[in-house]
Amino acid sequence: MRLRTDDDIYRARLVYLGPPGYTLPVHLPYAQYGLFILLVPLYMFIHWLFTFTVELFPAWEIALAIVTTSFIFRHVDPDRPARVVIRTALTDWRRTREPAVEQRDPRLVGSRIRIREELA
Amino acid sequence: MSRSSTPGSPAGRPGAPAGHRAQSFDYAEGDDEVALDPALVTSPGHGAVGVFQAPRPVSRRTPPAEPTAVTAGENADIDSPFLDLFGGARPGAARAVTAGPATREQPAIPQQPPAAAPTPARPAPELEPPWTPDDRPTSARRPVEPRWADAHPGSESRVPHQAGDRLPPLHPANDPAPTAGGASASTAGPATRAPGTRPVERPPAPADRPAVDRAAAPAARTAPAARTAPAARPTLEGAPHRTAAPERPREAGKEVAAPRQRTASRQDRPVRPTRVRAPKIKFGDRDPSVELAITEIAGHLTFTPNTVTAWYWLPEVRWAFRPDAEREALLSAISEQYAGLAGFRLHLRRTTRPFPADEWARTIDAHTASPLPDVPGTAGWADHLVAAQRHLMAVNHAEGQTYLGVTFARRSLGDSLTERLLRTFGRGTADGERRKLGRTVEQFDEVLGAFGMRGRRVTAQELEWLLYRSVALCMAPPGTLSPVTDGRWERGDLLALTEQVERYRTPYGSTVKLVNRMTGEERHVAVLAVGRMEPLEIPERHEPWLHFHERLPWPMEISTRVDILGSGDSFRNLEHRLRMIRSQQLDYAEHGIDAPPELERLAKRALVIGDEMTTGLPVDSARAHGWHRIAVGGRTREECMERARRLIQLYSRELRISLQHPKNQDWLAREFIPGEPIANTGYVRRMPVPLLAAALPQAASNVGDRRGDLIGRTAGTCRRPVFLDLHFPMEVRERSGLAVFVAEPGGGKSTLLGALGYLAARRGVQVTLLDPSGPLARLCAMPELRPYSRVLNLTGSEHGTLAPYSLIPTPLRSEFGVGAAGDREFEIAVSNARAERRMLVQDICMMLVPPQVAREASTATLFRHAVRQVPAEETSTLDDVVSCLGRLDDDAGKELANLLLDTAEMPLAMLFFGRPPEGLLGADAALTVITMAGLRLPDLKIEREYWSAEEALALPMLHTAHRLAVRRCYGGSMSSRKLVGLDEAHFMEGWRSGRSFLVRLARDSRKWNLAALVASQNPRDILGLDVQNLVSTVFVGRIAEDAEIASEALRLLRVPVDDGYEATLASLSAADTSSANRLGFREFVMRDVDGRVQKVRVDVSYVDGLLDHLDTTPAAIAAAAGVLPSIPLPDLEA
Repeated sequence: MRLRTDDDIYRARLVYLGPPGYTLPVHLPYAQYGLFILLVPLYMFIHWLFTFTVELFPAWEIALAIVTTSFIFRHVDPDRPARVVIRTALTDWRRTREPAVEQRDPRLVGSRIRIREELA
Repeated sequence: MSRSSTPGSPAGRPGAPAGHRAQSFDYAEGDDEVALDPALVTSPGHGAVGVFQAPRPVSRRTPPAEPTAVTAGENADIDSPFLDLFGGARPGAARAVTAGPATREQPAIPQQPPAAAPTPARPAPELEPPWTPDDRPTSARRPVEPRWADAHPGSESRVPHQAGDRLPPLHPANDPAPTAGGASASTAGPATRAPGTRPVERPPAPADRPAVDRAAAPAARTAPAARTAPAARPTLEGAPHRTAAPERPREAGKEVAAPRQRTASRQDRPVRPTRVRAPKIKFGDRDPSVELAITEIAGHLTFTPNTVTAWYWLPEVRWAFRPDAEREALLSAISEQYAGLAGFRLHLRRTTRPFPADEWARTIDAHTASPLPDVPGTAGWADHLVAAQRHLMAVNHAEGQTYLGVTFARRSLGDSLTERLLRTFGRGTADGERRKLGRTVEQFDEVLGAFGMRGRRVTAQELEWLLYRSVALCMAPPGTLSPVTDGRWERGDLLALTEQVERYRTPYGSTVKLVNRMTGEERHVAVLAVGRMEPLEIPERHEPWLHFHERLPWPMEISTRVDILGSGDSFRNLEHRLRMIRSQQLDYAEHGIDAPPELERLAKRALVIGDEMTTGLPVDSARAHGWHRIAVGGRTREECMERARRLIQLYSRELRISLQHPKNQDWLAREFIPGEPIANTGYVRRMPVPLLAAALPQAASNVGDRRGDLIGRTAGTCRRPVFLDLHFPMEVRERSGLAVFVAEPGGGKSTLLGALGYLAARRGVQVTLLDPSGPLARLCAMPELRPYSRVLNLTGSEHGTLAPYSLIPTPLRSEFGVGAAGDREFEIAVSNARAERRMLVQDICMMLVPPQVAREASTATLFRHAVRQVPAEETSTLDDVVSCLGRLDDDAGKELANLLLDTAEMPLAMLFFGRPPEGLLGADAALTVITMAGLRLPDLKIEREYWSAEEALALPMLHTAHRLAVRRCYGGSMSSRKLVGLDEAHFMEGWRSGRSFLVRLARDSRKWNLAALVASQNPRDILGLDVQNLVSTVFVGRIAEDAEIASEALRLLRVPVDDGYEATLASLSAADTSSANRLGFREFVMRDVDGRVQKVRVDVSYVDGLLDHLDTTPAAIAAAAGVLPSIPLPDLEA
């Protein structure tokens, strides 16, 4: 029996070509635009925290968002969606060096579970 | 395995390697009692050591008094097989042997109690050992049992501490007997069981006790038994104060450290008045803990605040060597079951349990009514079992346990609030909710219980076990609570143990560290996720993809969380995806760019799948979307990473599945715990349910019974120990005991035959091995067998040893039932025996005359005539046939008589003529090896005309020697266990009497409880004899030369031919061409009595010296001539 997953269908690369009538020079996945659009206001907000002013054309913010997006999407593949990469980055970003400190996680304790031998 | 002491418990006493031992040396008499408390061993992992010991030597090693006699210096003399088990120094391999053979009171050869009636010997042959604490003092109740009859005072005094028998490091230490006696446990053979020893073994001067005792013991042991009972009485009465009742009913589990501390302080008191404070363990941080999501276990359901999950136990299924059609049927049945669970979220969890070596040892000991008496200075029966257990544990066999959880209900807010409320009153979930759920879960019983998974509801204990194993991922499981009682943990105990497991992670690390605070065990765990998968051809080319990890020798854990989507859901999901692809294609078209071809291909594939979904059966449409993880553990981070690397490599090379090693390991490890949230959404696999069914984590490859000797392990897709009791087919399955061994020369037939013979002889089975070429004779030189074994060399034997008439025994009337029916059967058997004798004599005569003469028709007629004249009784001889031929009125007859007489002049042929010597093969020796040293065996491929005279004689000699070997087994009791090993059985082919011999052997094997092992180079011999229906066990070794022979071997195994399994046979015992060393093992494909077929790697290296004695290579034989004790053949012969 030849058995295969359906994963390749979900692996299709869906990219934004540009608005009708105009083709963008680079084709990026839709998700990348989405992330970019989320990141720009975030950086603007951070900027506002420092200066209490909002610029008309947020050049720095756009540049930072582009860099961040491309950096994140370098680690994205069909098996690892962007939100997983971001989440991992927030907790555990890659490092080659094995860190010296280890931290204790909470113990997972099951002693308060109630046990009945029989249901009902 | 694990450290036994809790941190800081023995107050002020540093835990020396032999920490337990140190306590008893200067103890007062009553105190070592307390030190031996079974409660000490209840820490997890301790029970798993599973050291079992047969009760006999124990009783020897427990003389009640003289605890003061031993000084620390003598410690080195304590010789016990157990000392090195826990890393303590073993005082040298050489045992201090004092009890020489002279002290033996029993006859050298054990008489065999009938195996069918083991009841007098062992009152309870079940698994439960008869030496539970309550049993012990009652030994007087079974006075017949020699093993117990001596139940000397020492054993009485130990009543509450029978656990100590299984806990050797405690035992020998606290018990100076081995030191004093100077003999190890193993030397405590029948001699020590002989009564009358106890009183004398207690010398008045304890200071120089060893010397005195060594002198006294032999004398004492030979003392007449009559003195026993009265002499032993005083000690018996002296003992009771130690069998104090209050100590007995102690709950073993409840006092882990207390008694030990008590004894320590008591001991300290005279020496140092100030108490040493136990070191306090300080935890720097605040030691946080989090409750698991599961709040309640009710029967087989688990409740979290939001969901309810029903858990099922999936039994192991056989995978290897099954026909592909059967496998496909199994897979499609399982996928139907998965499809039937559409709409639910599943949690498939596989964990492992270490092989219970102690349980096995108890079983085999219970089935061994009278093991071979121990020979002083060699490993005794108990040592033998301990060695096997240690071997088992060293190889790290783990049995898989597969659980399937179906998350089927969302709980309403009301339900979970009610539970919360009721919990404060200690009640848990509401009755109404559980009643409602109880009806709902019945549908799962129906779906999962059918052929395929055959799941059954788990019990609450199993769920506890699963939860503990998941929290303490990849750590050593807690052992049984106590080796004496059933060893079960009380409800909730296992869950309480999760408190001890601490979790550490390095912030960006690739493993999680788990530490068991109680045992100090440290584990590093890496969780791998199943990434991209290439198409698999599961029954035909590939192994089940979640069973595959078992190729690696360490246990791993598997967790699979999948959502099963029914046809509607999966179609909607797919259609959405298809629309996205189509719109992308449209985009490309609008922009006037060529779309990548993969889009069209994927769109087409999506269409095909969508079509299957809408028109096909539910099995085709259901999809499983989810996450598959494998956890790998190691003692250090490096070991863990190395194992993970090897696993990744194996999967990518053999199955083309890329295993990924993501970050966030702590979340991933948490995902293994039932009820906990899913770690993250990466590496979701979307697959049709048949592919999920083909994961088959519950596949296994068991073979053999679980009550016989350890002969090796399975070598196919996973590693399980293989046990073989050759009497299991007769005694339990009521099948014949014929076992067939087929292999090319050098495939290891003879070695396996010898090893099985040795192991059976150790268990007290009467063993006869026929080995024409002779290397097995060296078995008899093994020190532990030497007093009980005998070599019979036929080439140097007397007249008439092989006289054909007497080789076939006359049945006895007592072997048949009473009454007329019995009479009738008896008469039939007697006349059958006569007919067989005639057939055999005719065949032998035909073999003795030259082939040209034998081919003439008149020869057969004349022989038949002459044989008819001679009465076919045991007392007749071949000389009678010759004289009968000579008296015939026929020249041809006279000629034949002369031909036979000519042959009779050859020294070897004289064996056939005359009467057999008396007592040739008494039933006394435990192991008899019949050899024909120096005999040249003919090549059967060459025509008989071209055989030399000696080769021609070899044929009838082999025929009759086979009969002779079996003849011996008809001597004793019908039900006692017997074993016959026949090598070179292919010489039986082509003769009428050969077939009738094997058929008779197979038929009689059940009646006579006779295990018959037949080795041959060609399976055609057995198939040609048409006895394969009577064959219960088959071993096929390497067959690489001849494809035809290989396919016949497969037929013997009842494995489908032309399915590629021929290649498996050819690859058995494949030598590594790059290595210059000899192959250290042999592999066989084995079919057991239950029809399970498996590749087996035979490994009997745990028996000290056995392989050296079985080595048949020329160099080894030459070396053995110098090193091994040579056998003085004339002495050993009858």
